[in-house]
Amino acid sequence: MQAMGGRPNVFPYLLLLPALFITLAIVAWPLLETVRLSFTDASLKPTEEFIGLANYEKIFSRRFPEVIGRTFYWMAISVTLKMVVGVLGAMLLNSAVPGRGFLRVLVMPPWIVPIAIGVFMWRWMYNGQFGMISGVAQHLGILAGPYEFLGDRTGAFYSTVVTDVWVGTPLVTIYLLAAMQSISPDLHEAAWVDGASRMYRFRRITLPLIMPAVATMGLLSAIWTFNSFDIIWILTEGGPRGSTTTMIIDTYKTAISRNRYGEGAARAVMIVIFLSSFAGFYFYMLSRMARRSLKNDK
Amino acid sequence: MYQLAEKREFKMKLTKILLGGALLLSSATFAVAQDQSLQVILCGDDTWGGEVNAKHAAEWEANNPGYTVAFEYVPWGQCQEKATTLAAAGTPAAVAYMGSRTLKQLAQNDLILSHDLSEEELNSWAGPILGTVTADGKVWGLPRAFSTKALYWNKDLFEAAGLDPESPPKTWDEMYEAASAIKENTDADGFGLAAASFDNTMHQFMNYVYTNGGEVINEDGEIVFNSPNNVQALEFYGKMAEVSQPGPVAYDRAKLRPLFVESKIGMFISGPWERNAVGDAVNWGVAPIPVGPMGTPGTLLITDSYAVFKGSGVEEAALDFAKFMTSYDNQMEFEIAAGLTPLRPDHPEVAKMREEDPTWNAFLDAIATGGPEPFVTDYVGLQDVINEAVQGVVLGEVEAAEAVEIAAEDLEDYK
Repeated sequence: MQAMGGRPNVFPYLLLLPALFITLAIVAWPLLETVRLSFTDASLKPTEEFIGLANYEKIFSRRFPEVIGRTFYWMAISVTLKMVVGVLGAMLLNSAVPGRGFLRVLVMPPWIVPIAIGVFMWRWMYNGQFGMISGVAQHLGILAGPYEFLGDRTGAFYSTVVTDVWVGTPLVTIYLLAAMQSISPDLHEAAWVDGASRMYRFRRITLPLIMPAVATMGLLSAIWTFNSFDIIWILTEGGPRGSTTTMIIDTYKTAISRNRYGEGAARAVMIVIFLSSFAGFYFYMLSRMARRSLKNDK
Repeated sequence: MYQLAEKREFKMKLTKILLGGALLLSSATFAVAQDQSLQVILCGDDTWGGEVNAKHAAEWEANNPGYTVAFEYVPWGQCQEKATTLAAAGTPAAVAYMGSRTLKQLAQNDLILSHDLSEEELNSWAGPILGTVTADGKVWGLPRAFSTKALYWNKDLFEAAGLDPESPPKTWDEMYEAASAIKENTDADGFGLAAASFDNTMHQFMNYVYTNGGEVINEDGEIVFNSPNNVQALEFYGKMAEVSQPGPVAYDRAKLRPLFVESKIGMFISGPWERNAVGDAVNWGVAPIPVGPMGTPGTLLITDSYAVFKGSGVEEAALDFAKFMTSYDNQMEFEIAAGLTPLRPDHPEVAKMREEDPTWNAFLDAIATGGPEPFVTDYVGLQDVINEAVQGVVLGEVEAAEAVEIAAEDLEDYK
């Protein structure tokens, strides 16, 4: 950057310095410290020693690959459901149904209610003896007796997914609703006049035009879901028998519950690598969309 | 002009000196007036003995001017983690309520202080208690809460199932038969079984280990979890799932009480605090834990202790505070308020307790035959391994013999 006289203008860089320092302090330093810790045997003992890649060798020789697979599976199911329900919800809220305003308000509570409170409510609902779901299912004759949703591996896994979808869907719905509302009604009217069916209009007009929003929200949702801790922790603490232990839960258990900070840091570094690749893909998508938009403007 | 400027400069200097002096004086006064705070982390909330805690802390403060006790109640699931993490970060609480099982790990990592106790003080506790807080010949915590376990049974459900309501089961087989009868002949389940991913699942299972002559780690420090006694104990734990509430893996011990109160289960094993918590909701009795085919009467003895952390800056006061709170009479007053098994069975109040409320007998008699929690260097690791074995058998995913073999192998890392 140069001033009018040809001399370099340092003032803009000076203005950036405070932000740079803050970023270094709250992002870069903890990240570097985590990477450093991952090469040590840090634990409760007062000293720590450099042990090279031993923590990484250890985590890959045990059950961590299984945990990685489970994390991706959990994320894939949860994000897919959130996107599908979110698109359907946004379509409903965008259509001229009676009570649309009320429905738009109604969709928000899962997102507004503090997560811990919402998840405790779900934990209670999953209870076989006193919970609402088991009770209603028994009343309707679907279940012969009480069923503990968190009482076996499969039930616990999918129960955590359902709760995560409940928490995450409202934001997806609202975001996609905003995208749908930005589509000019003229397009739909013209297609309608030409005899296009509702499904055809959705497939050929709505879906292509909201696709950038779907892709953006899908990626962001994947990042948040991958990192989701509180829902699983409150419902199952990663059990039974590790069936709901995702990478973030495993990292917490290792680093905080068992005070194996070095091993925990190695797991955290793995999470950073995965999330960075998501973030990289997200930024690539954003820049691609920006380029396409510029091309269209020309 | 020059004089005026000089005057102004002098005034400025004077103001600065006065302001600086005032600041110094005020900070010095503040330092003198400010009490040193003793941060004490406690688990749960103040509903169990909280008033007694506050009363004794006030007495200690009165005897130790210049110190203020600040209790911080942290939920059970997080309190130990919080105290440990604070200590590891170099900002420890002065005193924390910790499971005695964690003391060895904390001591080995030089995070806590040992306690100097007289012979009289050491001998005042029931025999096996000292073992729960001692490592390498030193006492690392002052026991604060002690529990033994016993079997609660619902007399009305026993009667409805055609069983003698005044004859609780004495052996594992009798317990299984009684639970089966309740499950078959009433709307209730026979037994309340805990198998959640939580510490008391391991505690519950240890009751079966100790009533069948088993151990986790022997006196020589060897892992002996894969003994035939423990295989049998784990098999029986899995068998009890057949006659228990559905989905035991979703239940920790605390969640069994509502089922018992609502007469949804016929029996469950728990500590003396349930006596007050269950109250008159059901017609209940309490008896020693039934005995396994290879064992004798037993129970898991659990103590939680006051641990004094290094580096708080008030270590001496903290040691004194912990001693004061757990002293002979203060401890007894706390135990009565909290409904805990007394640590000192020779205290005159204990005889009175037995006389006034015979339901105490099952818990007090169990002390002599109880076994301690395994004392290892990675307690959470131990707990996870045993819980996983229990869950595997309860869910029918693994045979008991295989589960204890895997667990014994894993436990080698944590002894």
